[in-house]
Amino acid sequence: MIVSNSISKKYEKSHVLQHVGLQVRKGSIYGLLGSNGAGKTTLMKIIAGIARPDDGEITIDGKGVFEDTEVKAKMFFLSDSLYFFSQYTIKQMADFFRDTYPNWNQERFFKLQQLFQLDMKKKISQFSKGMQRQVAFWLALSTMPEYLILDEPFDGLDAVIRKKIKNLLVQDVAEREMTIIISSHNLREIEDICDYIGILHQGKLLLEKDIDDLKSDIHKVQVAFREKPDTEVWDGLDILYKEKRGSVILAIVRGKEERIVSHLEQFHPVILDLLPLTLEEIFVYEMGDAGYAIENILV
Amino acid sequence: MFDLDVRSRKPIYEQLVDKLKEMIINDVLQVDEKLPSVRVLAQQLTINPNTIQKAYRELETQGYIYSVKGKGSFVNQLVKTENSEELQKVKAQLEKLIAEAMFFGMTKDELQALINEIEDQGKRGDRDDRQ
Repeated sequence: MIVSNSISKKYEKSHVLQHVGLQVRKGSIYGLLGSNGAGKTTLMKIIAGIARPDDGEITIDGKGVFEDTEVKAKMFFLSDSLYFFSQYTIKQMADFFRDTYPNWNQERFFKLQQLFQLDMKKKISQFSKGMQRQVAFWLALSTMPEYLILDEPFDGLDAVIRKKIKNLLVQDVAEREMTIIISSHNLREIEDICDYIGILHQGKLLLEKDIDDLKSDIHKVQVAFREKPDTEVWDGLDILYKEKRGSVILAIVRGKEERIVSHLEQFHPVILDLLPLTLEEIFVYEMGDAGYAIENILV
Repeated sequence: MFDLDVRSRKPIYEQLVDKLKEMIINDVLQVDEKLPSVRVLAQQLTINPNTIQKAYRELETQGYIYSVKGKGSFVNQLVKTENSEELQKVKAQLEKLIAEAMFFGMTKDELQALINEIEDQGKRGDRDDRQ
């Protein structure tokens, strides 16, 4: 279990993180979302024990992380900008990791080669960007981490490899309760594997929720009335967004489906449709609520 | 076994529950048949094992499956009573359709005649089955 307690971090004068408190259960896949520059990478670096928070503390299974080799042996941080020793081949890099990580699994390393089909004797720098990322995953999964922290991990990977890697991740979660924290801009990409979502905005954690609760708690409503309804139709509902398209009103409403439907039916609508939102839409509207709205700027 | 629509707006957890229910109701999965383990299903569908666990728990509380410690989950004997939730759904659909039919000029008597006809067909079908 990863617990962060009111973490704050400043770089120079800018407050990158402000009192962030998050909890990641063991065996969970936690999706960390956020606007650009929200502080996702900084937060991940702190969780990985690379950066030290100015204030607050982070514990993994009750222990502090920063500069603690015992905790770090169980953890792998896959950064968004990959780093390999120059001139090293995959084999040499694997040897280095084998000596560094006590849980390194050589058998698994060879098994994964069949999956990735990359030449072990080739220098890593000669591979393409996407292939280098595959190498990083290959090495990361061979260290048998209990905690895997992935910063924009699917960047530059094709659809087939993405699917393969997700499948590997899910297997590790199912078989040995590996915990994953994953950040991504492509929300569709992580929607199917995450069970928990945290949204970070300007250094603050806006919300942290079970993904199914998140989805069943916000709806897109399309409604039309025969006569022009009274304004009180929307009273008592938590409206995130509302727009009129001809005679149909489109609104994003927070709350349970039954409650919204029973509320609106009092006014006898001619059309009443409720749709769940995709993760992408939830992100956009929650952000809009936090003052980070999409505005179409004419240039 | 089956596939999920990850592009759908419906939460994966709900899709799983609905799909498994459908398979149980239509006897695709038979009584006392073992459901695939969480691990296997997670790998087959590439979805989060916790989501599957949650779906199985939900199906258990709704009485569709039972679990044996250390063995897995199995299909429960379903008592085919009126499934009130399903019934409500069908009623809502009927209401909509009937309203539409009336809008296009169908009268109450015509509707009644239609209902009688459907009922007769059902009875005839029963008799045919018996022969």
